[in-house]
Amino acid sequence: MKVRTVAVYYVFTIWTRIFHWLMVGAIAVLFCTGLYIGNPFYIGSQGVEPTFAVNNWASMSTIRFIHFAAAYILMASFIFRIYGFILHRGDRMLPKPWTKLFWTGMLDMGLHYSFLRSEHRPYLRNSMARAGYGGVYGMIFLEAFTGFAMYGQINPNSWLSKLFGPINHLLLDEYVVHIIHHYVAWMIILFVIIHVYMATRADMSEKYGEISAMFSGVKFYDKEPDDVGDLKE
Amino acid sequence: MKDVESLWDLFQKRNVSRRNFLKTCVTITGILGLSPSLISDVVSAAEKQPLVPVIWLHGHECTGCDEAFIRSQSPFASDVLLNMISMEYMDVLAAAAGEPLEHHLQEVMKKYNGKYLLAVEGAVPLNDDGIHCMVGGKTFVHNLKEVAKGAAAIIEVGSCAAWGGIQAAKPNPTKSVSVSDVVSGKTIIKVPGCPPIPEVITGVIMHYTLYGQIPPLDSKGRPKQFFGNRIHDTCYRRPFFDSGMFVEKFDDAASKAGWCLYKVGCRGPETYNSCGNLRWWNGLSYPIQSGAPCIGCSANNFWDNDPFYNRMPNIPVPNTIVNADQVGIVAAGALTAGVIIHGALSTIQHKKHHKETHDTEKDNE
Ligand code: HEM
Ligand code: SF4
Repeated sequence: MKVRTVAVYYVFTIWTRIFHWLMVGAIAVLFCTGLYIGNPFYIGSQGVEPTFAVNNWASMSTIRFIHFAAAYILMASFIFRIYGFILHRGDRMLPKPWTKLFWTGMLDMGLHYSFLRSEHRPYLRNSMARAGYGGVYGMIFLEAFTGFAMYGQINPNSWLSKLFGPINHLLLDEYVVHIIHHYVAWMIILFVIIHVYMATRADMSEKYGEISAMFSGVKFYDKEPDDVGDLKE
Repeated sequence: MKDVESLWDLFQKRNVSRRNFLKTCVTITGILGLSPSLISDVVSAAEKQPLVPVIWLHGHECTGCDEAFIRSQSPFASDVLLNMISMEYMDVLAAAAGEPLEHHLQEVMKKYNGKYLLAVEGAVPLNDDGIHCMVGGKTFVHNLKEVAKGAAAIIEVGSCAAWGGIQAAKPNPTKSVSVSDVVSGKTIIKVPGCPPIPEVITGVIMHYTLYGQIPPLDSKGRPKQFFGNRIHDTCYRRPFFDSGMFVEKFDDAASKAGWCLYKVGCRGPETYNSCGNLRWWNGLSYPIQSGAPCIGCSANNFWDNDPFYNRMPNIPVPNTIVNADQVGIVAAGALTAGVIIHGALSTIQHKKHHKETHDTEKDNE
């Protein structure tokens, strides 16, 4: 039997891993409750006064509450993310478009994914993934900003509204903010589909331990990854 | 009106009783959204403050705001016009017309320079040097800038003056803009609405008359006492919203039972106005109470947020009518199918490649 010798790379701290799974849960809840808020329907037995129906386990009021609670959890989870970011180089694998490696890596992955190159170079995190994660963080921030902009207007004199309210005036008016929030929610889900597929694909074909890394924090490589400089000096 | 005097002076001149004067002050306090403890303030202001000369200009618009204004019930527009302010120029209500009226405007501007309140109704068209709206032989933008120079403050009456209005709808052929887009360096109060609630128009004018200063404004320049809340947060149908009880179609049982109009396009959650608390025509009704969803007429760009009776705009896809959720489901489905196919092809390539490298490795052995 052939033995595969690998080196172990400690990539993600526990903080980033906790963040990741909290975020997954929060976004799943936010997306489902958000779609309900956008296009609600009555859940419960008919013929109930609204005064009582509001206490249904899944009234609009309850579902909005869950949406906002999940939003707060998502925001709080960023404390872990930022802590990991400060602590450990592996948690800082940002897209670096000013480096040559970013662009050669992008081409490498592009050719590989379009079946023109049967194997790609080893990376801790390839350029496409880096760009994609940059994008999804952008979308989450957009959701948070537009979300809190709408949420703060429950009381237009609150500090929350003072902080995020101006977002409602950036583009015409508040209606546009609802639309952006709704459209970007869908874009996040499209990202999730690609992300889950890519992670599974890498895990199955490359044996670097792509998926397990988000539990254990480590990846295994038999050749040194090109972007190892992001982990070690 | 001769010279500026106070409201109390006027009441005395017309032999109206002190009792009536006080009643008027109480009404005004309520309309302005002030607390009852401020009644004495309002009374003393009404005794002393000289009435404000007002110039009212009309631009690119439909005069619907005037129609609303003259139906103000408390205070009555006639009271406001004849008793509470000195309306010096308003082309659609003036008895005079033509050159004498325009001449009068020039005189008023000179006489009350820096003191008059300027109310503007209508958008300002800028295309083709502004010829799309002419008043007295000159372009409206020219008139506006001229009159604005000497104004103490400017009120943008209606959504056209405040945001551009219907004539600014895509593709905005006349390039209509709001008053604040062409006038700078002045205190501007936005009183949007298509039209604004009559009592809100008169209320803002009254506030300025009595206090000699503009009311507290929100971050968009709208008076907080009238635009401080969303319609949604003052809506009497809100319990139905919170319970998830919605009108699905205009003729269903839910619409007859008066459930929430969210799903038939209600813009209440994004619209700031007093319809929920003041209502219209002396509290008679307002669109939502009459079973019609709010179209957000006091919000910027409401005219382009169509269709009014859908909550979300449609996404332009040829030959169908679809919204974001339908597009999203199809896109997610297509993408899932795509990654499955890509996965299958990847597996094939991987196996092939693996075999090749395996073979070469064997050859090397
Ligand atoms: C991170 C902080 C977030 C906050 C504070 C937030 C807040 C809100 C608020 C206030 C609304 C409007 C509710 C209403 O009109 O009654 C809303 C709607 C919605 N949210 Fe979020 N949200 C957040 C994140 C997300 C995320 C991450 C997603 C999806 C992945 C999402 C999906 C939606 C959807 C689809 C709607 C319905 C939009 C509409 O039709 O108006 N939200 N959210
Ligand atoms: S009818 Fe409109 S404003 Fe009233 S609760 Fe429903 S969505 Fe809100």
